[in-house]
Amino acid sequence: MVEIIRGSLLLFFILCGCGIVLSAATRGKAPLRVVAAFGTLCAVLMMLASALALVSGQTPELRLWNLEGFGSLSLSLDTLSAIFLFISGLVYLPASLFVAHLLGKAFHGRYPARRFGVLHFALMGSVILILTAHDAYSFLISWECMSILCYFLVNYEQGQTMDTRAGYIMLAMSEAGFLSIVLAFLIAGRMALDFTFPALAAGASHLSQGGVWGVFLLGFLGFGVKAGLLPVNFWLPRSYTAAPSAFVPVLAGVTLNLGFYGILRLNVELVPSHGCGPGVFALVTGSITALVGILYATTEDDMKTMLAHSSIENAGIIVAGIGASMVFRALGFAVPAAIALTAALYHVVNHSVYKTLLFQGAGEIEAVTGTRQMDRLGGLARFVPGLSVVFLVGCLSISAVPPFNGFVSEWLTLQSLLRSAVLTGPVVKIVFALCGAMLALTAALAVTCFVKTYAMSFLGIKRGPWNLRSAGRYGKVHFSSVYLAVACLLLGILPTFVVPALNRAVEPITGASAAASLVPPFFTATESNQQLPSAFLHDFHDLGAQTGSKIVPGRGLVLLVRGTEQNPVVFAMSPSYSIVALAILFFLTWFVVTRSTRKRRVSRNELWAGGIPRLLPEMSYTATGFSNPVRVVFQAIFRPNIVEDTRQTVSVHFRTAIHRRRDETHLVDRLFLHPIGDSVVWFAKFLARMHHGRLNAYVSYVLGFLLLMLLLFRLS
Amino acid sequence: MSFWFWNGLRRGVQTTRYPRAMEPESGVSPGRPLDTSFASTGEAERAAAQCPVGAIVARGKLAHVELGRCIHCQRCHFDARHPLEWKYDYEWTTTPRGASGYEVLPKVYRKSVHVIVVDAGDCGACLHEVKQLNNPLYNVHRLGIFFTPTPRAADVLLIVGPVSENMRVPLRKTYEAMPSPKRILAVGACALTGGVFGRSAMSAGGVSSILPVDLEVPGDPPPPLAILHGLLAIIGRKGVAAEVTS
Amino acid sequence: MSVARSGVPEGFDLDRLISDVQERFHCAVSIADNGAIGSLNLEELPLLPALCRYLFWEAGYGFGGLIVEERFDHWELRYAFLVPSRGWIEVLVKLPLEVASIPSISADVHGADWHEREAEDLFGLQFEKHPRLGDFVLHDQFWGEGLAPFRKAFDMTQGHGNGQHNADWRPLLVVRDPGAFAMPVGPVYEGGIGESVHFMLETVGEDVLRAVPRLFFNFRGVEKIAEGRDVDQTLLLAERFAAKSSFAHSLAFCSAVERICGAAVPRRAKQLRIVLSELERLRHHAGTITGICESTALSVSAAHAAIIEERLLRASCRFGGHRYLFGLNTPGGLHRDVTDPECHDLLEAVDQATETLKRLEDGLLFTSSFLDRLEEAGVVDEESARDLNLVGPVGRASGRGHDLRRECPYGGYEQYPFEVPREKQGDGYARLRILFEEACQSAGLIRHVISSMEHGPICEPCRPKRPGAALGWAEAPIGATLHWLRLDEAGLVERYRVVTASFNNWMGFHTAVEDFAFQDFPIILATFGLSATECDR
Repeated sequence: MVEIIRGSLLLFFILCGCGIVLSAATRGKAPLRVVAAFGTLCAVLMMLASALALVSGQTPELRLWNLEGFGSLSLSLDTLSAIFLFISGLVYLPASLFVAHLLGKAFHGRYPARRFGVLHFALMGSVILILTAHDAYSFLISWECMSILCYFLVNYEQGQTMDTRAGYIMLAMSEAGFLSIVLAFLIAGRMALDFTFPALAAGASHLSQGGVWGVFLLGFLGFGVKAGLLPVNFWLPRSYTAAPSAFVPVLAGVTLNLGFYGILRLNVELVPSHGCGPGVFALVTGSITALVGILYATTEDDMKTMLAHSSIENAGIIVAGIGASMVFRALGFAVPAAIALTAALYHVVNHSVYKTLLFQGAGEIEAVTGTRQMDRLGGLARFVPGLSVVFLVGCLSISAVPPFNGFVSEWLTLQSLLRSAVLTGPVVKIVFALCGAMLALTAALAVTCFVKTYAMSFLGIKRGPWNLRSAGRYGKVHFSSVYLAVACLLLGILPTFVVPALNRAVEPITGASAAASLVPPFFTATESNQQLPSAFLHDFHDLGAQTGSKIVPGRGLVLLVRGTEQNPVVFAMSPSYSIVALAILFFLTWFVVTRSTRKRRVSRNELWAGGIPRLLPEMSYTATGFSNPVRVVFQAIFRPNIVEDTRQTVSVHFRTAIHRRRDETHLVDRLFLHPIGDSVVWFAKFLARMHHGRLNAYVSYVLGFLLLMLLLFRLS
Repeated sequence: MSFWFWNGLRRGVQTTRYPRAMEPESGVSPGRPLDTSFASTGEAERAAAQCPVGAIVARGKLAHVELGRCIHCQRCHFDARHPLEWKYDYEWTTTPRGASGYEVLPKVYRKSVHVIVVDAGDCGACLHEVKQLNNPLYNVHRLGIFFTPTPRAADVLLIVGPVSENMRVPLRKTYEAMPSPKRILAVGACALTGGVFGRSAMSAGGVSSILPVDLEVPGDPPPPLAILHGLLAIIGRKGVAAEVTS
Repeated sequence: MSVARSGVPEGFDLDRLISDVQERFHCAVSIADNGAIGSLNLEELPLLPALCRYLFWEAGYGFGGLIVEERFDHWELRYAFLVPSRGWIEVLVKLPLEVASIPSISADVHGADWHEREAEDLFGLQFEKHPRLGDFVLHDQFWGEGLAPFRKAFDMTQGHGNGQHNADWRPLLVVRDPGAFAMPVGPVYEGGIGESVHFMLETVGEDVLRAVPRLFFNFRGVEKIAEGRDVDQTLLLAERFAAKSSFAHSLAFCSAVERICGAAVPRRAKQLRIVLSELERLRHHAGTITGICESTALSVSAAHAAIIEERLLRASCRFGGHRYLFGLNTPGGLHRDVTDPECHDLLEAVDQATETLKRLEDGLLFTSSFLDRLEEAGVVDEESARDLNLVGPVGRASGRGHDLRRECPYGGYEQYPFEVPREKQGDGYARLRILFEEACQSAGLIRHVISSMEHGPICEPCRPKRPGAALGWAEAPIGATLHWLRLDEAGLVERYRVVTASFNNWMGFHTAVEDFAFQDFPIILATFGLSATECDR
């Protein structure tokens, strides 16, 4: 088994290299075909390797080189890496196909496709290297490669009027984050023998409280740059908007996860904290990130920027789950910790899938209509019905509507926050309650946001002056989108298979099995089996949790939240059963309705609009209008600057125009970026006073410095 | 707030008992002229000439009243040289001239019917009388008649006004937006024959030139009880006056 | 609550006016015998805006209306101005029929804006520098431009046959915000049983920034239909184009005819006319109060007010023979007389109505949820009310106190004491208070007149013997109304012009509806109590 895994990883790297070479060597549209073919193969290999690693539980290792004075560079695929590798494979498959589909028609000729192909495979390789790195050096080197490659890909269309500053800000922030990560590793490795991960883990137990806090803060904020956490995420909306539509799905589905991987690897697995402080910090940061992210997403008009803010929101939810897990583990509650971590990992999987789907949809909309402004879209469902269905699936998933996947992970996250009932300290409980409330508000706003997105883009009247470009090619829905939509559905209705798979990574970290408490073995446990109390089993047999045990393999189809002995089951749900029930209900309703109304005549008429001759596009709701109530209610956060609010009149009483324009500075920009930037500039100006040009003063500087050095040398 | 409650209780029930019993109070209807026999043909012709809109036609010695044309100017009533007989009733609804009969709405609508009111150039009086039907003295809700603002939920289209030119298209659209079965009730002299406005470039001279009218309520304006009689006739709870004579 | 007489600028009198006008604007001032107390004949057309600005702003006169007449070989334009406590003066401009354009006065007298737009649509006159002409009375969707249906050459009896709409027509939207859109309301009104008006509520999602009414869905061309009819037939038209103020319109029309004939109305007729006018005002205000209560969804009070209105309608029917008082007025007096028991019956009904109104008012003023919705809703400040020439209770609620019964008394009003209430806030609550107070004053007037009723003839028959023109006016429940009538030798109508209070007030409606919450819209509409059909004619 280990051999197979190792072999497939090697094959993966070989194929990656071939992909790079072939993309560079060919011209025209051929690199895109290379991307599609080789990319798909590589993705399949990724999924194969990681699935085998998860199932078998064995961790193959690959030793690479031995560097003088540093140590050996090695790769290994343990269960945590395997999960993230699987997610990357899951996303890279449709993403590679989508690259060929989108770039093939729309942008061909403007920018060389070779460059894209080469960068695509290089990034794929560096991502895998990060995920399989087994020591700090290979991790950091591949992290830096990944950052730079991302920068090149974001600024792929550098001839456009788009702001190339966006990519530059991303690069700057990545470097700052990288520095922070390096420092974190350095502090972590102070007590360790060398910088391989096992050695770091062993040395972590000797670190002082301050050391642990230092590693946590530096690592959390450093990885938080990539993960998109407040206050270091202001590069994210800008870069996602500026990046080419073929690349953004990978940005959102793969590289965002690297941030979470880093936090999990360094701060949860290698250097765990002893007190609950870091966990609370992560939880609070995550919750606030989620809320701010969704607020800006709801009021945003550009579809890509809106999805970027939504990614920030989901990152917040994930990190909140991780933080809750850290708190539970530090306080000794292993089972709640396992549940929280499972919820976070499940959300990572789900987010990658549906965010990729949504970004692909946004890319297609832009290719079809030429605009991303939701105020100018509308009525697309008639022109691109296939795309509208898959986009609807994506919107439903991200709004956490059953039976799709978002529902399960949001439910699990909120449930794990509710488990704070077992905690004893009042402050921690209050923090959990507040964060739970914030996440609930976030979930509600997410529904608003995506109702607006879907309705304003696809339903209603066409509001903008665009005409359908090349509707033929884009009219049909692409396989990659269907693949992702089906994945959304499957992840939603088969959670009882996903949780045990995730459990393989969760159990080593937290020490408890989430699967045992969330997915009891209703199918495999008989009455006499002592895994579960018999009274409990008896109850559930009555309820029908055994149904389907002959058809579907596995442990059962019900997700539970177990409580104490007096209250054994706090909550139970089963998306698998409910989708069957839903399907039956839909069918029954359809049957009854069509049979009973067979005799009725249906007459189709035009829309009733009060008797006016025609309903014009100006008379339908815009996306801005739909989200205006949110903007008004949360005005304290948005603090819009009124740029223009003039009333033009002719002779006082006759209004010809009312001009209004509002601009907003992002909360993070206002609170962090601008003050930091201003203070840096101030400091620089202060120091610039030294540059006055008087030679005598410069000589005295040199003299003074020399004296100072002599003094220090003397004293030490 | 309790003031409203006690005040209402103290006033008691003031709703009319129509259609169970005729309303006895005076002032609920301006009344209408009846066909009157005169002593001679000449007198009948002079009586007919009193009417400024030609609603009275002399047939021999009988001055016959076409109520659909009457605009309630009272020239044939108060201080007239040849006054006609006058009756203070209000059940005036008829089928349009030339129509063979009236197809009543299906039985399900007897206790619950939705009416949409369209003002197609009305002077305000007919519309106001329709509005009075909602006040406690008439209270059509107790009879299951409701006024709805949207034609999609309406069964009866009540039109007032001679159909001004600018309302032609909205009226047509309202009718087409209603699902069948649907009926049209034309209320008021203007909606029947154009009233004093007649037929011109600005007014169509009545609804029947645009839409098929099912029942008509004459009067200028018809009092609320006459309109109520019209609504009850449309749903089949009251009979239509075949020819409104004495 | 303050009740005051309308003010005249100190020290400004007609003699000074005459000398000023003759000097600065080279106008010949003559005595008019058509209802106006003076006629300023303007020779130099370019001075027209300056003259109107002088009259409106410096002299402080109110603007009555623009009366356009196509005579046989020239145009006659009359700009009527109201001199407080004196009467009307007119600025008379005679122009050749081929005149290219007329300077617009709407930049100075904003109240003339719609008058000029109407003249352009119906007569084809072009006004220079008017901000927006066209698509006013004749909706561009159904009619073309340049039809000028009120000109003598246009044949009103033929349908113009243009039933289809102009597919390219777009509304004129004012808000220029990227996310702005306009919600269409009407003409088949969403509020249930309502008149046909169309609004475009422009908004960016929360507050409505601007609501522009589109009227004239009820346009029946009353002024043109009347041409060629005799006085009797036209009286029927005058009563029936806006039936809720039917008596006031018929009164204004009859007084115009009486002025042409030089007839004197008997004393009893005058008194009865006052009784009937005030009865109509009382009933109309009860109706407006019902509307206000309905709009705020205070159903119980709406029901109470509706009962008061219905009882007054029945009382009108018993007293006058018709619920809306049709068929009573005739030039020279009234058609029929009333007996003393009938007067007594009316007095009883009015007393009962007053008492119930008082109780309703007390109840409403103690219902804070109701007052909350009315206060600060649809505020029109005094400046705007003056600017836009608002009349009637709406104008008086904003501090503009013109009431024709006081400013140019007609029909015997000068002999009876009554107050004209005035408020300053200009919001919905102020308008409601004015309605209650005016209803009370009307009831008081009725009582006073009936108690001092004289006996005598009820009508002095009046037949026009020679051609003439005159202005008749009345204070209708909604505000000041003017009827201008010109008869030819045969006694048939040559020109009939109606300037209604609703027309003036709808013009000013759009200042009240700027930057408001969407839910307040029906309330503002109800507190204005305007009638679209009276404006549309």
